[in-house]
Amino acid sequence: MPSTTLINSPMFSWLLGYEAKRKLLLKKAPAGVLHDFLSVPLPNINTPIDKVAILAVDFETTGLNAKQDKLLSVGYITLQQQQISLKSSYHQIIKSKAQLEESNVIIHHITDSQKEQGQALATVVASLLQALAGKVMLVHFARIEKQFLTEACYELYGMAPSFPMIDTLALAKRRLDKRDVAYDPSELRLASLRHKIQLPEHHGHNALNDAIATAELFMAQMSKVNKDGKITLKDVLL
Amino acid sequence: MTGQNMATELSEISTFIHSIPPFDSLPKQVLAQLVRELTINYVRKGDYLPPKGVNEPRLYILRKGAISCLSSDGKLVSRLGEGDLCDAFYHHDEQTLSNSKITSESPLQVQTDEDCLLYSVKAAVLDEIGARFPSISDYFSQNSAQRLKNKMTQVNEEAILSSSLMNTAVSNFYQSPIASINAEKTIQQAAMQMNEEGYSCLVVIDKENPVGIVTDKDIRRRCVATGLATSAAISEIMTRDMYTIDVKSNAYDALMMMTAKHIHHLPVTRHDQLVGMVTVTDLINNEGHNAINLSSIIHKARTIAELKEISQLLPKLQIRLAKLGSSADHVGKSISAITMAFTKRLIAMAEYKYGQAPVPYAWLAAGSQARQEQLAHSDQDNAIIICNSMKPYDDAWFESLATFVCDGLAECGFIYCPGDIMATNPKWRQPQKMWHKYFTDWVETPSPKALLNSTIFFDLETVYGDASLLNQVRKKLLHKTQSNTLFIAHLTKNALNLRPPLGFFRDFVLKHNGKHRATLDLKHNGIAPVVDLARIYALSEGISAVNTIERIQQAAGTPSLSKESAENLIDAYEFLGMLRVEHQAKELMRGKSANNYLSPKEISKLEQGHLKDAFKVIKNLQDARQSSY
Repeated sequence: MPSTTLINSPMFSWLLGYEAKRKLLLKKAPAGVLHDFLSVPLPNINTPIDKVAILAVDFETTGLNAKQDKLLSVGYITLQQQQISLKSSYHQIIKSKAQLEESNVIIHHITDSQKEQGQALATVVASLLQALAGKVMLVHFARIEKQFLTEACYELYGMAPSFPMIDTLALAKRRLDKRDVAYDPSELRLASLRHKIQLPEHHGHNALNDAIATAELFMAQMSKVNKDGKITLKDVLL
Repeated sequence: MTGQNMATELSEISTFIHSIPPFDSLPKQVLAQLVRELTINYVRKGDYLPPKGVNEPRLYILRKGAISCLSSDGKLVSRLGEGDLCDAFYHHDEQTLSNSKITSESPLQVQTDEDCLLYSVKAAVLDEIGARFPSISDYFSQNSAQRLKNKMTQVNEEAILSSSLMNTAVSNFYQSPIASINAEKTIQQAAMQMNEEGYSCLVVIDKENPVGIVTDKDIRRRCVATGLATSAAISEIMTRDMYTIDVKSNAYDALMMMTAKHIHHLPVTRHDQLVGMVTVTDLINNEGHNAINLSSIIHKARTIAELKEISQLLPKLQIRLAKLGSSADHVGKSISAITMAFTKRLIAMAEYKYGQAPVPYAWLAAGSQARQEQLAHSDQDNAIIICNSMKPYDDAWFESLATFVCDGLAECGFIYCPGDIMATNPKWRQPQKMWHKYFTDWVETPSPKALLNSTIFFDLETVYGDASLLNQVRKKLLHKTQSNTLFIAHLTKNALNLRPPLGFFRDFVLKHNGKHRATLDLKHNGIAPVVDLARIYALSEGISAVNTIERIQQAAGTPSLSKESAENLIDAYEFLGMLRVEHQAKELMRGKSANNYLSPKEISKLEQGHLKDAFKVIKNLQDARQSSY
């Protein structure tokens, strides 16, 4: 960057945040999965959104609290060149000691015996980070994925990177807020948003299905607002 | 992705793909492999396919939304909706492949009519799967006409399988011992033997070897009609090339052989020795309520009440014929034959009641009955042509006849013609010279409106009476139509008003009135356009046949219609007819009145595909006809 004053301005530092933090952490990170992840540059925030490599991610968890609750399964799929490739899809159940609470089992259809067939958290997070390197993460309701992934990284590597994220819920909320009309928060659910723009029904509460559903929703959202192709990563970043 | 979860994790997409022909034929594992190769695109309304940045040949599968395929000159070729396949970008270099089967389909412009969610797969991947599963490669290597042809072949096979004759051996039907006659005997002796023994067919034996076959028909045709002396040897008139069938064959093969060779008697052999004889009648009687049975009962009825009772069997016959897998052609011919039998019986009753006709006449059937394409309880269209020698006061007799027969037909469920095309209308009860004048006016000074009302009279058949009255009119008429291009042009213009609804399965030309909402009118949008085309071909080429298939067959190879187009058109027509017959059978079984309104939900995705193919064939020929004027 040519101007040092600009870099030092708090605004720009915030915008540059994730890339700066990546470089900082890269120096400290031990060799291995995290180091590999951090060594791939992230897309510039001024990149047109159509050109940004995106990984749609969804977690199923035992609860909403990343400190107490556990990750149950991870699903993800890449969205690149405005195209989702099913070949890139991944779904894995995580083996953990956490007891499955009955209410959640009903939602996620993951029983204890199925969970025993899962893989270790370290293996699953390693796969995720490998796929995520150089990409922006796309989720619906970012808090869960952000907090659980950060927590898992601290647990596994002792440090956590800053993940640039796009949140389809936040994008939809921004639009609704702009209209200055009261709305029911349930309108922001993945299924409701998809229904509203006539995307097909999907079988929710499966990490991969939800990841695909989120990616489709994002493509639809962008097709509405990005007709001239001028929207950049910066415009949609959380 | 980890293998163990493959099946469950993408099950939604798998299920969707699996519901679409030809992928419904793929085993689970291969389907999973295919699904993994899919990509998903979102294309906004008004954009074109393929999506930006995609250059390689791919097959597109519409998950949500609607797209239109337009020909290079901007005409709508087809409209696709959820679950439809778009193969416009599948064959990338089809134009350069000289021996490609698909070169006839020109490049298309594909535009989205709504926001679309599309699945797609690389052609190379499908080709690889197609190499292992021919059902896939066949599907994509064929154009609509070819796919339809395959479908019709399959339908014919189903008809064979569903026939009870298929599972019954010839041995259940043959009559034994066989009636035989020595080759030296005379024709008269043969006729006497037939009378005595009650056989209509004898095998001719020479020195203990069968050398030929002789039927009562042979005696009529080859002896009496030609003036051959009845004292001549029977070997003079026998058929020498005798077909036989082995006793172990099934009855269906026997029926097929007799149908193909136009013979009614077939000797049955065991180890090459004659053991018996099987006749068409023996086989057909096995099929239960059949047209022949019903006709003979009708002939014996003495009152209108009895006829009415018999007429209630008609829907049952139609259901049964449809269930047996009969072609629409066969169903139409059977039902028309029975309507004819009803009409003849009613005429006979009227002649008994009012006495003999004052002058010769013929009772004519018009429209679908004349074309032998009638289905149970359609409306009656009829007319009377009377000998020119009639006096004005003679009309009273014909009026009585017309009233009696039309009322009787109505009693039997053939509703009065809404357009009043019936012999009770004085306009359609006229001497031959008036009919000549009608046709001359229609042909020489055609007005589109008059033609619209009169096309029904270009399909006429004699039901009863002096057939020469109509034949003379027709001969003169065909001579005129062949040379009158203005008339043919007007007729064509009218006919092309009915267009097959290519985008039917989206939101296109649905009948919006009343109870048939969101259904396809098979009769007006599918069958009638073919009937109209066939009529135009017949009138332009001087073909006297009125049955649609016969007209198309006879027009094949004339300047009006190529042989290949004729075959495609017949396939399309038979497919539409089959859908109609099946639809009506379902309605009739539910105790409803039969109609022509098909709901898209009623038929499978595959049939929907064939329906679109059929529409395309019809549209192409309509376009060809239009451009020739």
